[in-house]
Amino acid sequence: MSPEADKKNWVGKSLPRKEENRLLRGRGKFSDDIKLREMLYLRFIRSPYAHAKIVSIDVSGAEALPGVVCALTGTEVAQQTQPFIEIGPDPFAKIKDYPLAVSKVRYQGEPLAAVVAESPALADDAAELVQVDYDPLDPVVDAENALTNKSILHEEAGTNLVWNGIFEYGDVEEAFRDAAYVVKVDHLHFHRFSSTPLENNVVIAQWNPKDERIYYQCNNSFPSFAIQFLAAHLGVHIDRIRVETSDIGGSFGIKITSYPQMAVCALASRKAGGRPVKWVETRSEHITSSAHGNERTFRDTRVALDKNGVITAITSRHIDDCGAYPRYEPLGCVIWSQVFPGVYRFKNARIDFSQAVTNKCPVGPNRGYSRMQHLWFLERVVDICAYELDIPADEMRLRNYIRPDEFPYTTPNGCVYDSGDYPKMMQLAKDLIGWDDWKTKQVIARKEGRLIGIGIGTTLDSGTNNFGQSQIVNPFLPYSGNSQGANCKLDIYGEVVVAVGSCPQGQGHETTAAQVVADVLNIHPDLITVRTGFDTERNVHTGFSGTYASQFAVSGLSAVHGAAQKLKAEMKRLAAFALETNEDDLEFGTGAQGPETRAKSTGKSINYWGLANLVNANSAALPPELYELTLNCRYIWRAPFKVPDTKKKYGSLTLTYAAQLHMAVVEVDCDTYIPRILDYVAVDDCGTVINPPIVEGQVYGATAHGIGAALMENCVYDAVGNMLTSTFSDYIPITAVNMPNVKYGHIETPSPHSYSGAKGMGEGGAAPIHTISAALQDALFASGIVIDDSFNNADSLFRALTAKEISQADKLVKVEKRV
Amino acid sequence: MLSQLGDEAKVLAGGQSLIPLMKLRFANPSHLVDLNFISGTSYIKEENNALRFGALTRHAEIEASPIAAKIPILHDCAAGIADVQVRNRGTIGGSLAEADPSGDWATVLITLPTEVRCLGRTGERSLPLSDFIKDAYTTTLAHDELVREVVLKVPPKGGGGAYLAFKRSAPVYPTASAAVQLTMEGDICKDAAIALGCVGLTAIRPKEAEAALRGQRITDKTKSAAMEAARIAADPQTDMRGSADYKRTLAAALVKRAIDIAIRRAAGQQVEVSHIYA
Repeated sequence: MSPEADKKNWVGKSLPRKEENRLLRGRGKFSDDIKLREMLYLRFIRSPYAHAKIVSIDVSGAEALPGVVCALTGTEVAQQTQPFIEIGPDPFAKIKDYPLAVSKVRYQGEPLAAVVAESPALADDAAELVQVDYDPLDPVVDAENALTNKSILHEEAGTNLVWNGIFEYGDVEEAFRDAAYVVKVDHLHFHRFSSTPLENNVVIAQWNPKDERIYYQCNNSFPSFAIQFLAAHLGVHIDRIRVETSDIGGSFGIKITSYPQMAVCALASRKAGGRPVKWVETRSEHITSSAHGNERTFRDTRVALDKNGVITAITSRHIDDCGAYPRYEPLGCVIWSQVFPGVYRFKNARIDFSQAVTNKCPVGPNRGYSRMQHLWFLERVVDICAYELDIPADEMRLRNYIRPDEFPYTTPNGCVYDSGDYPKMMQLAKDLIGWDDWKTKQVIARKEGRLIGIGIGTTLDSGTNNFGQSQIVNPFLPYSGNSQGANCKLDIYGEVVVAVGSCPQGQGHETTAAQVVADVLNIHPDLITVRTGFDTERNVHTGFSGTYASQFAVSGLSAVHGAAQKLKAEMKRLAAFALETNEDDLEFGTGAQGPETRAKSTGKSINYWGLANLVNANSAALPPELYELTLNCRYIWRAPFKVPDTKKKYGSLTLTYAAQLHMAVVEVDCDTYIPRILDYVAVDDCGTVINPPIVEGQVYGATAHGIGAALMENCVYDAVGNMLTSTFSDYIPITAVNMPNVKYGHIETPSPHSYSGAKGMGEGGAAPIHTISAALQDALFASGIVIDDSFNNADSLFRALTAKEISQADKLVKVEKRV
Repeated sequence: MLSQLGDEAKVLAGGQSLIPLMKLRFANPSHLVDLNFISGTSYIKEENNALRFGALTRHAEIEASPIAAKIPILHDCAAGIADVQVRNRGTIGGSLAEADPSGDWATVLITLPTEVRCLGRTGERSLPLSDFIKDAYTTTLAHDELVREVVLKVPPKGGGGAYLAFKRSAPVYPTASAAVQLTMEGDICKDAAIALGCVGLTAIRPKEAEAALRGQRITDKTKSAAMEAARIAADPQTDMRGSADYKRTLAAALVKRAIDIAIRRAAGQQVEVSHIYA
């Protein structure tokens, strides 16, 4: 940062969001607000079966309905397109993945045809007239069953096993040989849930026959990934695909995987003669068939501990359920290893990781993507070991945490944790919740027969990932590192305009980008216009641009910072010429004629209009040696990564590690079994904070999502693959009335890996799931119950406490004492 | 008009149930007869120790009514039905005519002497609520007959009631609910009416639970007896809201809490309760 900027320091200020005026007054522009001339409406025909052969599809009845323009089937799509690129290696690279099912359906809700009509209601009517004959096949709804391959989903692959890899580090055998205690946990299960953005998926596509260009207006949250898939699938030059996003009402990762629907809308538009086609997903479609989070089962876990309760080794077998199509997903087979040891110091471990397809909705990135399952597993293991060794949960963690003086800390698999202070976070959380006080109350309450538990969850939100980790899944993939683009310019009249390749969904990118540029140029953020929302034609994006994976504060703002500095350097050269001085003599600020550059020696200044005018509209005044100046500066920031060692599965996988430490006091009512949160604390460390209210807001959001996931939100399938939670009557997203009063605290351990010390944040590691499991566990250990599932509601607690259906400790957990 | 339009025509009151069913395309009526324009169908009056509710009186109007507030159990119910938007549209007459097993009003009103006044082509008739609702989604209303008014007796001196429903979030149906209306004389329970909601095809009156309280001093023992009787009387189905066993236990627990609140209210205490959320 320039010395002038340090004085003002907009970064770190609680600047109100620039977006607020638009969004809070209902003046935002969302995809469904867009109405185009001659626009048509698309409705999908979806499978009622989880697994079935498509015997026949008859769309003639739908096509005959007045107002229906055309229908599209999977067979037509297969004739006109290439199957989607598969990320995983053989044999799953061989599967034929089309956006409409061709010969069989593989999950309830899978689209197999589409109708296009003059109005949404007509499209709905037409969809009911499509006749489909199915021949049901055996459904596979459980990942471990799927691995027996009795019923195969993708014949081209010949197996339901998508991927398997052994992640082994250190000397596991030795650690177990020397262990004072060995704790075995038979199984644990992380449930399937999703995100419930206020706005569902929306796609408007126009495949213009005149210039063979496809124009998308949509709310996909990773468009540069989508266009790479779409160009290959549709067989068009990537430059012919324009994607524009506007305001987005939440994504949480789920909107990354809308590219199949984007493909169908484009094909439908082409078939309709180039008229724009809009698809607005219904809530039930969103719940049943957009994307769910990964479900994961943890089998045969063995933990070696020394006599002090320090964990020395963990071995386990993890089975991940990715639903019917892997798509983006095999990346989830490695992304969890960004946080391989969690916040703990153990050096020896072996995780046997498998992923299977099942006849359920495909999974996709879902806030806390792939890491939260693993972090929940580690937190459960730590609590179970603590209880078995009779060590308090807080003490157990302190004995096992990576210590503050060990940062930067290299994990057994080569990741570098940039900074952190977990004991300090714990102390702050204890102070905020009144730990000692609650411990006393708990003792009294237990004597009264009440079930009160206090739980701790410590998690990581790894941000700015190294796409080279994809090569651990498939060594032939051409992706590595990470980059983000930004553009910073002085427009003809001297306005400062910043464009970024991100598509924010409430993260306040307009505000934080303006804060960064304001510091570089020493002007007020209100003088800076920030263009967010993806648009391929702004030419700022790289192959990784989008908004996902907790990274904007690092990758996005580093790109903005780089572009602003590049612009400043050009402005300096220009001002030195205009003010007849040298560059060292210049200072930036705001004068009587607005933002300007001043010569300290003479006091003469030139404002931004004057500078821009020289380049854009008064160029005869410019000497040839300055012709190269454009005042339109694109900068690409690249993360300093190497390609990981794919054989050893070793390398730096993410740049920053934000941490969360949550504490909850939960009571299970003895009559109604309703779990109630009596107190809740969320302590966050995302390094240097760019804008405190934006960070705090995202912490509340992630906390709500996590509490909802822990107690309310569960995607339930029956034995034949019917989804039982397809509306908000059965899938219950958390609302304000369900939320406890969250006490927020934060510490800052600046990251040495980012220019500003900031760490990516927003996903929050799903800390509430771990914390509530821990608190319920604390409440129920005495009843001999082990919380073996990440989802717990009144009904499951009732079953646990009455019928002891949830695993009893003596069956689920075994302890070997060798001291 | 309904007789002319035939069986496929549907009556629209607040739309609390019909509109979602149409949205999901489960209901596809040929015609909708909108009652909302008929004047004089929304009112709350107190006459001769009885409250009279026009059929189209909205839940929100009952929630805000000082007249209805005299019977606290009515406020408990009105204030907790679904969310604000639904309470502004949904009607007491529509709720009874729909006879949804998960509806709130029938469970509450069945604990009070409630009459439903119906109007058809052949004239008007009045019948007790317990006779009006026959089964899940089934009433004695003829196709061309409408609910005109709901009339209920103000409970006698010493009366106190409470309605508790557990639901997972505002817009969803309760997992189970319990209405308790007691008449107390000192610490003796002179009379008790109990109803369980969402745990059977219609609201269930657990007679044995009522008998366990009637004429008794209410102690932990009598409450436990009432709970156990309620647990046995409940006849729920397992669904995404909970297992049948859990719903029985929950309904019984809600009965116990509602008894406690009803006693306090009968003694003149002001107690605020409404639906319970997870």
